[in-house]
Order: sequence, then C-alpha cells, then structure tokens
Amino acid sequence: MTKRKPAVGLLALTALLVPSGVFAQAKPYAGITLALASQNDQFAPVLAKLAPQFEAATGAIVKVDIMDYGTLLTKTTADFVGHTKGYDLVTMDIVWSGAFAENGYTVDLTNWIKRDAAEIDTGDIYPVLMQSLGGFAGKQMAFPFAGYANVLAYRKDLYAAASLTPPKTMEELVTDAVKLTDPAKHTFGFVANGKTGPAGAQDWMQYNSQMGGSIVDAAGKPVINSAANVESLNVYKELFAKAAPPGAADYDWDGREQSFRNGTVATMETWSVGAPGYYDPKQSKVVDTVAIEAAPSAKGLPPRYGVGGWGMAINADSDPKKQEAAWAFIKWLTSPEIHKQFNLEGAGSFLRRSEMTDKDLLAKFPFLPVIATTFENGNGDYRPRIPQYPEIQDLLGTAVNAVLVGSADPKAALDEVQAKAEKLF
Amino acid sequence: MSTLRLASRLPFETRRKLFLLTLGAPALVYVLAIGVGPVAQGVWYSLFDYSLIHPARRHFVGLGNYAALFADASFRNALLNTIVFSGAAVALEFATGLGLALLLWRDSRFNQICLALLLVPVTVTPIAVGLIFKGLLEPDFGMIGYWLAHWGWSDPRGLLGATHTSLATLVLIDIWEWTPLMALILLAGLKALPVDVLEAATADGSTLLQRFWMVILPLLLPAIFLALVLRTMDAFRVFDSIYVTTGGGPAGATDTLMMLAVKRGLQFFDIGAASAIGNTMILCLALIASLFVLLIRRADRLANGR
Repeated sequence: MTKRKPAVGLLALTALLVPSGVFAQAKPYAGITLALASQNDQFAPVLAKLAPQFEAATGAIVKVDIMDYGTLLTKTTADFVGHTKGYDLVTMDIVWSGAFAENGYTVDLTNWIKRDAAEIDTGDIYPVLMQSLGGFAGKQMAFPFAGYANVLAYRKDLYAAASLTPPKTMEELVTDAVKLTDPAKHTFGFVANGKTGPAGAQDWMQYNSQMGGSIVDAAGKPVINSAANVESLNVYKELFAKAAPPGAADYDWDGREQSFRNGTVATMETWSVGAPGYYDPKQSKVVDTVAIEAAPSAKGLPPRYGVGGWGMAINADSDPKKQEAAWAFIKWLTSPEIHKQFNLEGAGSFLRRSEMTDKDLLAKFPFLPVIATTFENGNGDYRPRIPQYPEIQDLLGTAVNAVLVGSADPKAALDEVQAKAEKLF
Repeated sequence: MSTLRLASRLPFETRRKLFLLTLGAPALVYVLAIGVGPVAQGVWYSLFDYSLIHPARRHFVGLGNYAALFADASFRNALLNTIVFSGAAVALEFATGLGLALLLWRDSRFNQICLALLLVPVTVTPIAVGLIFKGLLEPDFGMIGYWLAHWGWSDPRGLLGATHTSLATLVLIDIWEWTPLMALILLAGLKALPVDVLEAATADGSTLLQRFWMVILPLLLPAIFLALVLRTMDAFRVFDSIYVTTGGGPAGATDTLMMLAVKRGLQFFDIGAASAIGNTMILCLALIASLFVLLIRRADRLANGR
C-alpha cells in the first residue's frame, strides 16, 4: 500500500496536469484582454455577441466598445497620436486608410496576410474589399470584415402601377423618379441625403460617380469643379427639386431610410447593410413591395458600382503579444464559419464569395446576387481614400447642401470647393 | 530650527504676508493649473500650424491662424450667427424669464408647483432636446412639421430646413429649454429683495409700474447681471442642439463658432485653427462680460446712486 501511494499521487498529479496542459495549448491567449473600438453599425452588437466565443476558443477576452462615427474617429485618433494604447483593435472606415497609412497608426498586415494566406483562404475574399477596406499605397492598414454594396432599393408596386421597369441607367432613374412623384399623394420618386456634412457629401459623390464624375484625377489631385461634376450636381439639384420629399435637403441617413421604409419614396440608393431591415415588418411598411437591384450608371459608361464598409485594424502601439492575439481575432472573425454566423446573426457585413452562394444565407437574404455583382464589378474609389479626405468631404457637404437649398449655383459652389481643396495638398 | 529662527527674524508685516500667501497658495496653484495653464497652452498652440494628423508639418505661424480665420467667409458667417443666436436667445429668455419670475414671486403652493414643472426642460440634456425637436419639426413625417408645411405655415423644407427660419427656430428651442433657468435666477434675486423697502414704496403710494421701474429693477441688478452673464456664456458656446438638428446647415445658416471649433479640432485635428477659434470665443465672451459689467454699474449708479 505504502508503495502504491506515490504512484497514485503521480497519477492524480498527471490527471490534474494533462487537462491544464491541453487547456494552455488550446487557449494560447489566456490572460490577454483586447479592447475593440467599434463603429455603431449593424455589425457592432453581433461583434459583442460573438466575442465570448473567441474567448472560449483562445482565452483572449475581447471588450467591444461601441460608439458613433465622430466619437470613434476622435477617440481612436487621440489614442494613436498620444500612443496611449487604449484600443488594440479598431474598426476602420474605408476613407481613413490614407491618414492611417501616412502616420503608421495601425499595423501593416501585408506580410501576415501573405504568411497565413492558406489559412485565411484569401482567394475566397473579394479582391475589391481587400483592396479598398484597408489597402492604401501598397500597404494593408486593416483587414476587411464588413463589405457593403451600394444598391438600388425600389418599390415594385409603384413602378408597376406606372408601367415602368427598374432603371438600368442614371438617365432612366432621373426620368422615372420625376414620373413617380405626386406630392398630392405624398409620393416621391427619389430620396438621398441632402444634409450638410458627411451625409450630403457621400451621397452626392456616389451619384456623381455613377453619372461619370470624379473627385480626384488619376494622380490623386482634386478636380472637383470638372465639367462632369458640375453637370452631375445640376442633375442632382433637379432631382431633389422635382422628385425628392421637400425635407430631403436636410436628411441624413436616418431621414432618408425612414422616408423609404414608411412608404413615401419609390427609389433610393443605399448601403446593402440596411437592406435586411426593409424585409422586417417591425421596421418597414414596404416588406412586400420592396426589391433590390444593382445601382445604375450613366448611359454608355461601364458599371460604377460603389463599395464601402469597414476593415479591422490593429493598433501599431499595442504590445506584440496583444497584436498577435488581435490578428488571431481578425482571422477568426473572418473565417468562413464564423463570418457566416456573423451574418446569420444580422451583421449585414459580407466578405467572401462563398457567402453569396450559401444556402442558409441566401434563404435569409435573397438579394445576395446583387451584392455579388456589385462586389465583382465595383470599386470604393468614388470617395478618395486620401489623407485630405475629411476636409474635402466637409467642403463638399456644405457646397452640395447650399446648392440643394438654392443658396448657391453648382458651378460657383464647386469652384469654391476646388480652390479650398487645392490648399490642402 | 534654522528656518524658524530665520522666520522669527523677519518683520511682522512680511511674516503676515507670507502666512497669507501660504494660505492662498493651494487655490492659486489650482487656478493656474486648471484655468490659466490650459488657456495659455491654447494661445500658444494657436500660433502654430499644428495638425495632429500631420505632426511633421508643425511650424510657427504667429497670428497666421487668426488672419486665415478672419479671411474665411465661413468663419465670419459662424461668428455672425453666434452673435445673432446669443443676442436673440438671451434677450428673449431674459424678458420671458423676468415675466415668469414676477408671476411666481408670491409664495403660494400653486406657484411652487408651477416652478417645479417649469424646470423640467432644464433637466433634459440639450442633445435629447435637439433630437426631439428635430423629430417633431421634420416636414415630411414630423408630428408638428408635417402640418406646418401642409398648411403653408412653414417652408416646404420645414422650419429647420429653410435658410430663413432655421436659426430662429434654434433660438426658439433654446428659449424653450433655458428660460426657466433665467426665471429661477431672477426669482432668487426677487426673493432676496428687502421687504421693508418694498413696503415703504407701497406705503408712499407708488403705483405697481413705479415700484417695478424705481425699486424692484434697480435692486435686482446683481441677479440680472448674473443671469445675463451665465446665459450669454452658455448661448455663445451652443453646440449640442445644433449638431443634432441642422449640423450647421442649411447652407451654413446655423453654423456657429463652437460647431466650427469642434469640426476643426475633433474632425480635422487641426489644433492650431481650433485653438484660434477657441481663443476668439474667449475674447468675445470677455468683451461681452465687460460690457455687462459697465452697463450694470452705470445703471446701478444712476438708479441707486452707488
């Protein structure tokens, strides 16, 4: 008996040690806490919901801090500039990559992506998302995780009643919108953001691109008062005056979405992330009459589909061990299995080709083929990803709004923006 | 010991001064660290071309930021809007607030209940107030805005969406929210008035109007000064309610200095320009406060012979 005691003890010790050894190996990041600064988009609550799964798999706790766009930009920039390491992971808007790359705020992921290409299955990720949601001048400042497609949402019933088919060109969109407008019935053919600031600027830049305009030239210098841009702003002004709800000149995303969802508007271009909401009776009065199509471009132009969304970036100041864990989190989140779950939970943030043909996802989101078309043929260039973007966007927001409310002439307004924008370079 | 001996050798006057200085030192340090320091730093930053996003470009520009601001039409527009907004809001709030304070002066149960209810708007945060009014006044589906536009009582773009009514509407929202505070300060002033003077005026056969102009108003001057300065300072810095309603639009009609400063500082991270705007605001407020001091002193001298 006395001889067996140590053996039993050893066995017990081994029994205790083995699981803990396995535990330590399976949870390589135990004890690490990652702080994630997230934009308050549809994906944010899903990120927070999935975080415990990552902890269960790797041991790293991911704390998701959800905030609005302005706060996110201010807080994270302050964190980067002050080297305070407040956040390890940051959701990065498509247009921030220039500033992030110029200042080296976030880790350049190029080599890590190359190293782990097989594990990530990079071929399954849309190249346009990889390039635009974090790519800048040969660097990869963030990894795409939430691709949005600019799509056309329209009302089947209103188009059918007017014997119209959904517009294939911008010219058709304009004429149809005017035809479908009847203020007496409180029905309008078109709606977009007109409000001063990012809302008005971004929507016009999208339509401007579809009408053949561009904010910067091939060398990345501003050409804001080009003939094409002035012409497109003229058309946009007409569209607002003749076909949009009167309050649209003061709409931001919220007003625009509400006016479509409550049934007053026939046509609206929007980010695909909001599309699931149109089919939800709790949020929408157009559940049975809405349809999603690819956005039109001007006659004779190749399609100019807009792509946007968010990448996940790693703070360059974070400790190497945390950066490693953060990279593991990004790979985990964007892996086919987890990313599918991410979307089934309602993130509205697509990334992989395989998602577009996935039966479960298609059953829930019938408009996926439209997103696939947009991702295959679109680009994120209508909003230039240059460090001067925030100022240019603000100048454009003010100018477009002034034109829409009749306080400025399109040519004069864009001339002024061009003069101010040139000073930023 | 040696310090004590040294101290004991100093004349009494010097020791007394030292003692008082030591007593005041903590407060002085506090004011220097919390008040003067940041302002000085703000003034220093405003002399540089200093962007957080382009730290390498930082260089001294002297008064260049100020010159650029005053040459910029959008800054001049924001300055004008800020002055019009503060002037209109504070003047109307003062007139209405004084009226309310006089109505609530008598200490009845009814007045106390009224006062409590009146203070409700003050307790709502300005962002919420802005969002509520934005929803109500929205011309296409807002509860009030729809009918105003429908009946032709507002521009089809709505009160907040039309260039000629947007600033006035924001003034009205400010009045709705802050008049009760004005009334409260003035009411406190009224309650502190010496009862014997008022009774003497009544006994002397003065009319209500005479009592108001010759007794109540002159005695109320310190409270009026406080109310005006507090509200002007607040109104001059208006931000939240504009940010969530018009965002400075339509066509810059509601752009204010604070909107501009926040945009330059927290969106573009142009610390030089943002500091220059902030300092201009401080200067404006200092001028307005001095003007109030002068006016109130003059009125005090005229009315009370002090």
